[in-house]
Amino acid sequence: MGFPTAPLVTIAFKDLAKSNAASRGMPLERICFTPHPVWGKTDAEMYAYLDGNDPVSGKPLMKEVVDALTQPLSADEKKTGSVEISTGPPTYTDTADALQQYYLDNGMTDFMQIVLPTDERVAAMLKGTSHKPDEVVGKMSPARGSYPDWSFTVRHVAINAVMAGAKPEYLPTILAIAETGLTSLSSSTNSFATAAVINGPIRDTLNMNYGIGAMGPFAQPNAAIGRAWTMLSKNLSNSGIPGQTYLGTLGNSVNFNNLIIAENEKNSPWAPLSVQKGFKPGENVVSVFVGFSISQGQGGIGLGVKPVPQYHEAIAWNCTPFGPLFGALVVMDPLVAQGLVELGYKTKEQLADWLQKNSLISAKNARSTLFAQRWVADPKTPDDAMVPYYQRPDAYNFVVVGGQTNPYHMVANMSYRVSISIDKWA
Amino acid sequence: MNRRKVLSLLGLSPALLAGSAAEAAEKSAKNAAPVVPAEITAVNPKGLPPPVQLIPMAPRLASLDNKTVFLVSDGFPGADHFLAQVASWFQKNMPSVKTEYRLKAGAFADDDPKLNAEIKASGNAVIMAIGH
Repeated sequence: MGFPTAPLVTIAFKDLAKSNAASRGMPLERICFTPHPVWGKTDAEMYAYLDGNDPVSGKPLMKEVVDALTQPLSADEKKTGSVEISTGPPTYTDTADALQQYYLDNGMTDFMQIVLPTDERVAAMLKGTSHKPDEVVGKMSPARGSYPDWSFTVRHVAINAVMAGAKPEYLPTILAIAETGLTSLSSSTNSFATAAVINGPIRDTLNMNYGIGAMGPFAQPNAAIGRAWTMLSKNLSNSGIPGQTYLGTLGNSVNFNNLIIAENEKNSPWAPLSVQKGFKPGENVVSVFVGFSISQGQGGIGLGVKPVPQYHEAIAWNCTPFGPLFGALVVMDPLVAQGLVELGYKTKEQLADWLQKNSLISAKNARSTLFAQRWVADPKTPDDAMVPYYQRPDAYNFVVVGGQTNPYHMVANMSYRVSISIDKWA
Repeated sequence: MNRRKVLSLLGLSPALLAGSAAEAAEKSAKNAAPVVPAEITAVNPKGLPPPVQLIPMAPRLASLDNKTVFLVSDGFPGADHFLAQVASWFQKNMPSVKTEYRLKAGAFADDDPKLNAEIKASGNAVIMAIGH
């Protein structure tokens, strides 16, 4: 920036701050630390932090801050140049058990047994695509803009697909997910989750499950494609190192293999999600979402059971805990979609319009949340005014999936990011 | 329907069918010489990190006396209140230091060129609060 700066960081982010400073070119940045958290503390408590010691160095905190801005620079602090980063040797040789332990101990797995990526297995996996192994697929980081982007090739993705237990025919879908550049292990303290919606005939070609138990562990392609996303997030973007590139305080079990949703197109009365996003019917497409997680829509008071179930009201009710940081991804059984058509919602867009206009929150409640300015930008808005959850109907996205054993839906506080052609990676 | 399917439907493991064979194999294994596990070679699954371009730190000030220090929040909750206490600390302990509070525009990690220009024009140093 060109002027002396002292970063003042809460200690919970110590490893993150130090590793991030190093990866951005300032390994000796003079970072000062306070106790954690500052959020929710009184003025007196925060002042006591400043009057106390840096919990890392043990020195008086504010003297350290002043020194950071005034003590002359060392020769190392003035250094320029370029430093290559090693990710280890190209191969590892040992017994299978020892290799399993090595990959696990070095953060390259999801802490479950992997398929060891031998050259033979990787070569077989690469037969799943016509693209050359050294073609660059894209870039990914634990949080775009906060960490350096790592790049990766088709071969890198194939290696991780092997480790996840994928078959070669899954590779184009996994490459399309990789091309989105969206890590499934965001560094955020929020413990975010991700979802991938798959449309097109490849769902049947791969025998994906979009019927009973579609989002559960009941089909190899759904399971392995989802697991591969987490594997490649760890290994191709450096995501998922607790304290450094992963700060999610509670973690999220969805991160094991993510929400992989093959839309039940043949039992849906509406256009597939991919067509809504501009692709032609029959194209194979993956669309990715990120947000907090998925939560129940069944068994609660919002089911909407009346003489005729009011599914639109039930969806609106179940989205009421949502905050404004992400949109709504509604996952519904075909029975719900068919019921909504009978209620007059002939398209997904009509349902989104209704929800955008009728899902409202009081300005008072909105102001009580993080990122409240996204809801109530105008300070003159009275507390009792009702404001929409989302400014635009396209904040709502709908996917029809499930085995029609009950008219249920689930809601995810997640936003759409991007759709990528799977066919181009075939 | 074969016997395996019948057993499955009864909730029994089809492995029951192989009981005696499994026992025989176990006895045979106990008598065999220990097998040394074979070594195999597996590949590194890591992607390509970019090289780090070292950035020299900006020259330091001789002192903060009569200087203007910008107190910059990156938008994490509570940073504004915390920086207000930093301003109080300077007022009490180093009263010649002038402080200016600013909220950086954009997401947490986004650059804010407009603010950077303002600090260059009218400030001498920055204390940036990061974290919850």
